[in-house]
Amino acid sequence: MAAAAPARAADLEAGRQKSEPCKACHGADGNASIPGTPSLAGQPVFFTHWQLIKFRDGRRKDPQMTPFAANLTDADMADLAAFYAAQRPTPRPAVTDPPKVAAGQELAQQHHCVSCHRPGLVGHEQIPRLAGQDLAYLVKLLRAFKAQTAGDLDGTMTTAAQPLSEEDIQNLAHYMATLPPTPSR
Amino acid sequence: MPRITLTLLVVAVALVLGFGPLVQAQQPAPPPTWKQGQPPSMADSPLAPIAQPPGPKAPGEIPVDKIKVPAGFKVALWASGINNARVMTWGDRGTLFVSSRVAGNVYAVLDKGSTREVKVIAKGLNMPNGVAFKNGTLYIAEISRITKMVGIEDKLDNPPPMDVVYETLPKDLPHGWKYLAFGPDGKLYFNIGAPCNICIPPDTHANISRVNADGTGFEYVAHGVRNSVGFDWHPVTKELYFATHARDWLGEDMPSDRFDVASKKGLHFGFPYCHQGDILDPEFGKGKSCNDYVKPLLKTGPHVAGNGVEFYTGSMFPSEYQNRAFLAQRGSWNRTQKIGFRVMMVTLDAKGGVAKYEPFAEGWLQGDQVWGRPVYTQQMKDGSLLIADDYAGAIYRVSYQR
Repeated sequence: MAAAAPARAADLEAGRQKSEPCKACHGADGNASIPGTPSLAGQPVFFTHWQLIKFRDGRRKDPQMTPFAANLTDADMADLAAFYAAQRPTPRPAVTDPPKVAAGQELAQQHHCVSCHRPGLVGHEQIPRLAGQDLAYLVKLLRAFKAQTAGDLDGTMTTAAQPLSEEDIQNLAHYMATLPPTPSR
Repeated sequence: MPRITLTLLVVAVALVLGFGPLVQAQQPAPPPTWKQGQPPSMADSPLAPIAQPPGPKAPGEIPVDKIKVPAGFKVALWASGINNARVMTWGDRGTLFVSSRVAGNVYAVLDKGSTREVKVIAKGLNMPNGVAFKNGTLYIAEISRITKMVGIEDKLDNPPPMDVVYETLPKDLPHGWKYLAFGPDGKLYFNIGAPCNICIPPDTHANISRVNADGTGFEYVAHGVRNSVGFDWHPVTKELYFATHARDWLGEDMPSDRFDVASKKGLHFGFPYCHQGDILDPEFGKGKSCNDYVKPLLKTGPHVAGNGVEFYTGSMFPSEYQNRAFLAQRGSWNRTQKIGFRVMMVTLDAKGGVAKYEPFAEGWLQGDQVWGRPVYTQQMKDGSLLIADDYAGAIYRVSYQR
């Protein structure tokens, strides 16, 4: 099996070049426009890198992403994560429903989302920014965490998603999608 | 605590899996594990677990010269590029097997003289923290199962299948990762941690347990152990010594983590009722007495995060090091003044009491900046000591020249 590659510092420009195959779905600057596909712009470096590791080793599965991640080296992942973290996130066009947004805001409080995702749900280190993310993607991921198929890093999200009903998931996603996509610091 | 039979265990495990902490639709949503037990007065605390980097540090980013050891000892970077390197165990033919936790990998490290070659022999596993080796076979403990790779040292480039040894274990992820080691009795020992920061755990949790190497004969060894991810047996008395992480959010200086001896099977070490042998839990300690539980052999310090425990039996270090215990402390997050990030050593007296508790290696914490987290040790054949750092993804070697 694979030998572990020697570690080195991430290279942002190399990341831009390596992101060429990612553009079709995630956008040239990491702002995707396809519903169901996440924007990566401004996501924390640790977050994007860990997701790529999980796609490569099979803990996280996705018919589109799995083949792309299969042959990435550790250096590729570091470069890509650095590149996307440096891009400016823009809002995703989404038709959100105000009553759902209001209910979702309430649920986000009850379910302690800010404990890890930080106020404004801007993300931090290995934890993603949810604010302004694609509505359909948020729904898809919350369902997957509830189904225990999302390939959680440490179990925190899988546990958090268990009490959520389908209605809760919809409401939370509507709320998160409306928040301004401020990059995590 | 009543003796728990295997039948009861199976029923209890089924209850946990079916109706346990993961399914509480009617209850208010619990906060994430690390935040459980946080008093309202600390709701705005910036304290949170230290994020695990997704990749190892490059050799040039690892300031080995910052690690301080006693006079006469020397520290060198022995291997790097091992993402999230944790427990180390030796193969019969000199392969060092290294586990990880969130990285999901198990590695084989081959000593090539002046350099080391690192191979990934398993990936995508569910927090494979526990690795142990016996008679040509590598045993791996993930969250809810123990598996083995037979004849692995012949097949490092094409590893054998992971045959199941034991898989009737709780699936809870919080404190579900395991330390795994063979006792002097040839049995496999592992922890089943409390699935929370603080809670009344199910009867199946918060213990150290063991099974025979073929997966039969499950039994509990110690109860009331919040989470022990490091233990070893005294080279002379053969008693089980273990480190335990204490609960969070009771303050800067309490409760202390602990280092204990299980002089016999079935003792209760206090969790969740009594912490550090003398503090009742503010919520779960009501009506309890700390005198009903085993007191710590040693309070190792608040929030230090004691992981690896290893008694020194080598011939390289000075003679007073014989049978000393090395305690690797990964370091605190639930404390504004960071503490830990060091390897301590414990000298026991003739009666088994603690004669001395002092630093052996420190320097991964500089001011309040952390550049590495020592997590486990492993003695080499020549008597030098390896220290794994899961934050930098590196292994150091400490040697001594008289």
